[in-house]
Amino acid sequence: METDADAGTVQVKGLRKRFGSVTALDGLSFTLTPGQVTGFVGPNGAGKSTTLRIVLGLDAADDGEALIGGRPYRALSTPLQEVGALLDAGAVHPSRRGRDHLLWLAHSHRIPVRRVDEVLEQVGLASASRRRAGGYSLGMRQRLGIAAALLGDPPVLLLDEPVNGLDPEGIRWIRGFLKSLAREGRTVLVSSHLMSELEDSADHLVVIGRGRVIADTGVRELLAAASGDRVALRTSARTEAMTLLAAAGATVAATDRDALTVSGVNAEKVVQLLAGAGVPFSEVSAHRATLEEAYMELTGDALEFAAPPVTGTEAS
Amino acid sequence: MSERAVGHDGMSGRAVGHGARWVRTAHAEWTKLRTLHSTWWFLAALVLTMVAVSALTTGTLRAGDCAALRTCEEDTVKLSLTGVWVAQAVALLFGALAVSSEYGTGTIRTTLTAIPSRWRMLAAKAVVVGGLVAAAAAVGVFGSLYAGRELVLAAGFTPAAGYPAIGLGDGPTLRAAAGSFLYVVLVALLGLGLGTALRDTAGALTAGFLLLYGFPLVAALLTDPDWVEAAQRIAPASAGLSVLATRNLDALPIGPWAGLGVAAAWAGALLVVGWGVLRGRDV
Amino acid sequence: MTTTQTPPAPPNPPVAPYRSTVVPPGRDGFPQLLRAEWTKLRTVRRWNLTLLGAVLLTILISLFAASSGKVETSGEKRGPAPTGPGGIQILDSFRYVHRSLPGDGTLTVRVDRLVGQGETRLSGWAKAGLLLKKSTAQGAPYAAVMVTPGHGVRFQHDFVHDTAGSEGDGVATARWLRLVRDGTRITGYESADGSGWQRVGSADVPGLDGTVQAGLFVTSPMVTRMERSFGAVSVDSRPARATAEFGQVAVSGTQGDWRHTGVGGRLPAGAGESEGAGTSTGTGGAFTVTGSGDIAPAVQDMDLGATSLSGTQLGLVLIAALGALFVTAEYRRGMIRTTFAASPRRGRVLVAKAAVVGAVTFVAGLVASVVSFVIGQPMLRANGHKPPQFAELHFTDGPVLRAVAGSGVLLALIAVLALGLGALLRRTAPAIATVVVLFVAPLVLVSILPLGLSRFLQQVTPVAGFAIQETRTRYGHVDSLCLPEDGCYPQGPWLGLGMLALYVAVVLALAVWRVRRRDV
Repeated sequence: METDADAGTVQVKGLRKRFGSVTALDGLSFTLTPGQVTGFVGPNGAGKSTTLRIVLGLDAADDGEALIGGRPYRALSTPLQEVGALLDAGAVHPSRRGRDHLLWLAHSHRIPVRRVDEVLEQVGLASASRRRAGGYSLGMRQRLGIAAALLGDPPVLLLDEPVNGLDPEGIRWIRGFLKSLAREGRTVLVSSHLMSELEDSADHLVVIGRGRVIADTGVRELLAAASGDRVALRTSARTEAMTLLAAAGATVAATDRDALTVSGVNAEKVVQLLAGAGVPFSEVSAHRATLEEAYMELTGDALEFAAPPVTGTEAS
Repeated sequence: MSERAVGHDGMSGRAVGHGARWVRTAHAEWTKLRTLHSTWWFLAALVLTMVAVSALTTGTLRAGDCAALRTCEEDTVKLSLTGVWVAQAVALLFGALAVSSEYGTGTIRTTLTAIPSRWRMLAAKAVVVGGLVAAAAAVGVFGSLYAGRELVLAAGFTPAAGYPAIGLGDGPTLRAAAGSFLYVVLVALLGLGLGTALRDTAGALTAGFLLLYGFPLVAALLTDPDWVEAAQRIAPASAGLSVLATRNLDALPIGPWAGLGVAAAWAGALLVVGWGVLRGRDV
Repeated sequence: MTTTQTPPAPPNPPVAPYRSTVVPPGRDGFPQLLRAEWTKLRTVRRWNLTLLGAVLLTILISLFAASSGKVETSGEKRGPAPTGPGGIQILDSFRYVHRSLPGDGTLTVRVDRLVGQGETRLSGWAKAGLLLKKSTAQGAPYAAVMVTPGHGVRFQHDFVHDTAGSEGDGVATARWLRLVRDGTRITGYESADGSGWQRVGSADVPGLDGTVQAGLFVTSPMVTRMERSFGAVSVDSRPARATAEFGQVAVSGTQGDWRHTGVGGRLPAGAGESEGAGTSTGTGGAFTVTGSGDIAPAVQDMDLGATSLSGTQLGLVLIAALGALFVTAEYRRGMIRTTFAASPRRGRVLVAKAAVVGAVTFVAGLVASVVSFVIGQPMLRANGHKPPQFAELHFTDGPVLRAVAGSGVLLALIAVLALGLGALLRRTAPAIATVVVLFVAPLVLVSILPLGLSRFLQQVTPVAGFAIQETRTRYGHVDSLCLPEDGCYPQGPWLGLGMLALYVAVVLALAVWRVRRRDV
C-alpha cells in the first residue's frame, strides 16, 4: 500500500534484536525523508549494520518493523530499483571481474546491460571494470559496491561506511556525489563511525549508541546545541575580568594562567563589558564545537568498547 | 632462512634460547587452535565418526552370513576399525583447514609477522595439529575396538566358534590399533601439507579426497590384478590401512608396517612440498 | 547536555521523491533469477576450470579403467556361445528324456524327488519338470513347467520369461506337473495330488510350431561360493548335478520311443566336466534323470557399460566441490547478502541456484559419459572384451542410453546435493567433506566390507545413484553374483537413482527452509 506520502521514505519503527545475550537493537526508531543525506552514526558495535540488515530483510527483527515506501523490503517486487545498498565492499568473489559482478545483479532484475556500463562510468571504475575483483584495492571495491547500489537507479540509497578505504580524492568525490544524489530527490543514508566524515556531506544525523537512538537531528541544530554560548577569553588581568563578568551574571572558569571560559553571556556582551571597565584582553572567541566534539559529548556514555583513559606522566 | 641460535625476547629483553623459541611458537599455534570453536567440533567429529561407523559396521555383522564360521574369513579387528576409513576424512579436513583457513581470512600475514621463520611455523603447526588429532584418534580407536569387541561377540563370533575375542593385549590387535592411530595422525599431516601447498581450502580438500579415496577407487577399477596390487601398494589409504589387518596377512598387497610407511612417505612428501611453497612464495 | 532529546523535526522544504528515468521498470521473476545465477556461474574462471577438470577427469579415469585390463583368452577354443530367440546369449544344457510331438498333446508327470548328488548342495534354481522344445539344438525355442528347490513351481519359456507358481520347497513333497500344447499356445499346470489342477502360466510361443520334442528334463546350475578379504574376492564355482525321480508319466499325442539326450556342449573353460551329459534310466511310467547345466539367459559378471563410465566415481569429487562452492563462496565473502538483498525470496534463489548448477553439471556429465563410452568401448573390445564372452554394446541400446544419460543426471544430482549441503552448513570444507563421506567413502568401502553390509550400503547411502550406470540386464530367475565391486547394485537402476534423488530432495528442502528462516 504505497502512498505518495510514503514514497522514498524509510521508516524504522521500534526495532529490537538480540544475539544471544547481547542486545544489539533496543527499540530503534527513525524516519528518512527524500532529498536529504542522513548520517547514521554510532560507535563500533552500536547496531548500525544490524539495522541496515534488518531494513534490507536480511535479518529478522525480534520486534518492530522497517518499511521502505510503506512496505517491508521482502514485499518489494523489484528491490534493486527501490533501494540501493552497499553493505560490505569485500563481498565480491575475487575471481569475478568487476563488470561481471554488476552483470549478474542486472540480470536478476532484467536491467539493461548498458546501465552496467553507465554506473561503472559514474563511479569512475570503467577502466578497471574488466579486471578481477580480487585485484581491486579497497577503494576500488567501495566504488564497485556503490556502483552496485546505483544499478537499479533507486530512490533510496543505504550505504554502510562508503568512505572506508577511499583516498582523499575519493572522499571528496563521494561527498559531492552523495549530495548530488540527494538533490535529485533521493533518500540517502550514510553510516559511519566517524562523525568528521559526515561533517560536510550530511544534512541530518541519526546518532545511535547501544542499540538506541541518541539523537535524531539536523547537523546545524546539533552543532548549535553542542557549542552552547561559551566564550573563550584571554586576558592578563584574570582576577578583574572574573569579578566583572561574574557580577554580570556569567559563569566563569579559569582554564589557564591567562585564559578564562565564560558561559551565560555572549561574546559581544563580554567585549562590551571588558572594554567598558577598561580590563585588558587579548582575545575573545565564541567557542564553536566541531561535529566530532558534539558527537563525543552525545555518545560519551554509550561507547561499547571504550579504551581506558591513558594514565602516566606523558599524558596530560 | 638464516636463523641465529639466540634471539631476543621482545618483552623482557632477555636473550632466549633456541628451545624456548620453539616452545613459544608451538604455544602460539596451540592457542590459535584451542581458541577456535571449530577445532573442538572437528575433534569430536573425528571420534564420533570413527566409533559410529565402526560400531554400525560390526553391528550389522551376523555370524549366520557365513556358510561355516570356521571358513568365514572375517577379520573382526579390521571390521571394528572400519570407522578409520571415514574418520580419515575429518583428519584430512582438520589438517588442511589448520593452514588454508589462515589464507582464507588473511590471518597468515599476522602469523608470519609474529613468527617470521616459516619453517618453525609449519613445524609447530604440524606438532600441534598432530598432537590434537593423536588425542582424538586414540579415543576413537579405543572406542571402536571396545564397541567392536562387544558387538562381534553379540554377532556370534565367539571363542567357542573359533573366534577369539578382541583383546588389546594380543600382538596383531595391538598392531592394528597402534597402526590406525598413527595412520589418522599421518592423514592430518598430509592434509596440513596439502593445505600449505595449495593455500585454498576447497582445492586442498578436493586433492586430498582424490588421493585418499580416489586412488583406491581407481585401483579397484583396474581389471588386471597385478595393476590392482601395484596401485594398492602406493595409494596412501590402501597401503596405510593394510595395517588394520590381523588375519590373512599374505593376502595383503603390502605388509602392515611397510604400508604405514607408504602413508608416512606421502605425508612427509606433501609437508615438504608445502614447506617449499611456503618458503618460496610471497604470502 | 548528554542525551539531548530530539528537537522537533527540522522544517525541510518538501522534496519530490526521486523517480528513475534511466532504468525501465525491471522484473525479478524466476527466469531473471536463473539468468543471474547463470551469469554468476560462468563469470568465475576457476569454476569453469573445475567443470572442465571434472569432465576430463571422468573421461580419463574411464578410459584408464577401460584400457587397464586384458582378458586372457583361455587355452580351450570354444565355439560361438549359444544365442536364444532375440539374439541374447544363453545357457542351454540339460538332460532330456523326450519323444516327438507332431500336434497338440498333453504331458503329465509326478516329480517325486529332486536332490543333489554327493555333498554339494543344489542351487535354488535347479530345475526338474516337463519341457517342450522345437529341437534338441541349443537355443531352440522352448516352454517348460518345473519344480525348483528354492523358488517353488515355475513356468518358463524362451529363456527370459518366467512365471511363478506355488511357493515353497518344490522338493520336499511330490508334486504333479502338466504341460498342454494347443497349437503354439503352451500352458503349464501344477497339482498337489494329481486331481485338482491349478494353472501356473501360459504363453504363445511362436517357435513351437509343427513337430516339437516333448519330455522330462533335469538341470542344475553351478553352485557358487564366495569369500572376500581385503580387496580380493575368491569365487568358487563348481558344477552341481541334480537327480530327479519322475513317476506316473502320462503323455498323449506323442510318437516314437523315449530318447535320452544330453543337450548342450561343454562347460565353460576350466570346469572340466561335461554338463548336460547326465544319465537317465527308466521307461514308460517312471524315470530317474540326472542332469547338470541351466536353461537361462547368460549373465555377465562384468558390466562393460558401467566400466566405461567408471570415471564418474572420481569426477564427482570435483562436481561436488563446484556445487558446494557455488553457494558457500557467497557466504564466505558476504556476497550472499547482496544476493538476498537483490532477490529477497530466498527459497527461490536457492532453487534457481540448484537449477543452474544442476543443468550445467548435467550437460558436463553427459559430455563426459558420452565421450567415455564412445572411446572406451572400442578400447575394451581391443583388450579382448568381445563376443562371445562379452556381448556387444551399442550406444542406442536402451540400457546403454539409460546409463549414459543417467550418468549426467547422477552428477547433476550430486552437484545439487552438495549445493544444498553448502547452504545448510554455509562453509566450504564441511560441505565438500560431507559429500565425499556420503559418496566416495561408501564406494571404497563396498569392496572391502562383508558382502551383506556392502549391499546394505549400496541401497541406503546416496551411492545408490550409481545403480543407473548398470547396463546388463538382470533376471529374477537367474542367480548372479552381483558383487558390489563389479558395479552391481541389488536394487536395480531406477530404484537406485530414486534413492539418491530422495536424498537430494530432502537436503534441498531443508536448505530452503533454513535460508528462509535464518538471518544472513
